[in-house]
Amino acid sequence: MFCESCGSRLPQDARFCVSCGAAIKTQEAAPAEAIRPAAPPAPPPVAAPPATRCSWCGSPLAAGVLSCPGCGGRVSEMGMSTHSGWLQLPGRKDMAKLQFGQSTCQIEGLYVPVADMQLAAGDSVYFAHHVLLWKDPAITIGIMPLKGAWKRMFAGMPLIMTQAAGPGHIAFSRDAPGELIAVPIHPGQSVDVREHLFLTATSNVVYDWFSTNVWFQTNSGDDTETHYPVGAYMDRCSGTAQPGLLLLHAAGNVFVRALGPGESMLVKPTALIFKDPAVQMHLHFEHPQVGFLSWGSWSNRYLWLRVVGPGRVAVQSSFERLEGEACNIRGTSYATETRW
Amino acid sequence: MSTPLAEPFERLKCPWCQNLNEKSALACGSCGAPLDVTNLVSESGWRECPRIRDMTEIHFSSSTCQVEGEIVPVAEINLSSGDAVFFEHHVMLWKDGNVPLTLMPLSGGLKRAFGGMPFLISVATGPGRIAFSRDATGELVVLPLHPGMEIDVREHAFLLSSHQIQYSFVRIKGLANILFGGQGMYMDRFITAGSPGLLILHGYGNVLERTLKPGESIMLEPGAFLYKDSSVTMDVEFQKLGTGFFGGTTMSLARVTGPGRVGIQSMYVHHKTE
Repeated sequence: MFCESCGSRLPQDARFCVSCGAAIKTQEAAPAEAIRPAAPPAPPPVAAPPATRCSWCGSPLAAGVLSCPGCGGRVSEMGMSTHSGWLQLPGRKDMAKLQFGQSTCQIEGLYVPVADMQLAAGDSVYFAHHVLLWKDPAITIGIMPLKGAWKRMFAGMPLIMTQAAGPGHIAFSRDAPGELIAVPIHPGQSVDVREHLFLTATSNVVYDWFSTNVWFQTNSGDDTETHYPVGAYMDRCSGTAQPGLLLLHAAGNVFVRALGPGESMLVKPTALIFKDPAVQMHLHFEHPQVGFLSWGSWSNRYLWLRVVGPGRVAVQSSFERLEGEACNIRGTSYATETRW
Repeated sequence: MSTPLAEPFERLKCPWCQNLNEKSALACGSCGAPLDVTNLVSESGWRECPRIRDMTEIHFSSSTCQVEGEIVPVAEINLSSGDAVFFEHHVMLWKDGNVPLTLMPLSGGLKRAFGGMPFLISVATGPGRIAFSRDATGELVVLPLHPGMEIDVREHAFLLSSHQIQYSFVRIKGLANILFGGQGMYMDRFITAGSPGLLILHGYGNVLERTLKPGESIMLEPGAFLYKDSSVTMDVEFQKLGTGFFGGTTMSLARVTGPGRVGIQSMYVHHKTE
């Protein structure tokens, strides 16, 4: 099948041209978004039985909506999972709008997306001070008291949670190309987030944090240094009686999978975004088989994070270098190992 | 709308890698390039590397590779038994716990380092799944290599290569921009012997390619150089930048001369040569 307007080759069931956007004349012309042609064959594409829940965030979907009101994901891309079972964050239309309480959040841009919030009177959000992009002068900002927060630092500054109350507009963004992830928090639900990925949350989400207890110590000369591959602390965001909204910013693309009880996976420690509290994590060392010469044992290994189900775990495709990986490791938190 | 009649002998030629595909294919089976998009060539002659659509599947040997995401794309490999891929240790995103890892013996590899780690090439052997990605926004450049092909790649730019391809490296002295201190850089060389193989690079930003005619040359910022056919020669040239008074500075540029392909990336990332 070809587009009548520009001649591009199209999948048989396309309704819009993927190159020029022209509508394709068909008998059952129902409004729907263009289907991505390269979607994997496994999940049934779009139209068939309308999805009733968002595959990413679980929000109920009314029949005929094009994007999820909870996370902004395109309904046509829902359930896009890789052959190995990672579910991809559904693409989002620029200017997608999310609803929370009486307020809305519009997500603008595709490289480094901006969360542009219109806060209704009585609604408020909190955020780490360094993610504020702009705000109306009328929006009041105050510091949210955090127990023991002086222990935590971000880029040499104490981590301060700032609270903004409506009515008015306020917008947030971060410092790397990537995706904005909307994680609706249902009553009673909690999610553990790697530190400094937190963008903003509604005030009815309880913010807490805990020690990850995932570390290793290296020494060079007389100096011992402790490294935290997933951060010394992790944020825990929990729902209260009303559903809340949590926005995270991840670098690169985002993938999530649900691990069964006892099922485990090795992931790059610095790629972790969030996990369900039931998911356990610990270090895992893998030693490649070397037959040809003996190296210092310190270079001859890979450092992984082993995540063990049950629960969801999310990773980002762009990750920072793991500090201290190259050094002589003298002590670690609980770790497993494989020698090939 | 009527469906065109089946024409069993017609094949779609991939504009990127020349592979012949079935007429109904939407993406090339050997490099993942979309088949419904024509070559995008600038007026000055640079061709854009095809933007691989999300979730496209590529076949090599008896294994598959799925390209996922469009910001920092992930190459997820499903290795069948007997197949293997090699890569630098820091590009692994996740893997099945039961995929064995070994190290590739490299002569002189100990002289090189990356980010304080010795430069090691790891090999993952099937069956099992393993996924790779890098640390910044860019594109995956999929280069299926046919027997007899030789490709030179900027150091640390290759994401993975299938085991049929032979790997070696050379050092180019003097080639590095003034911004980066000019301590030279390595170039990885990939050669196919008997059977075809798959080479995947990660280019930072956007990737553009052009084919130089014999003797035709172009000057490149060394930070932008990504890959070239080994028939293309690369020489360092120093450009004096005078300020009119004393001093001034020199800038090194790479002169690449055809015949063959040369690929560049639009965002310079120079991993310090060690």
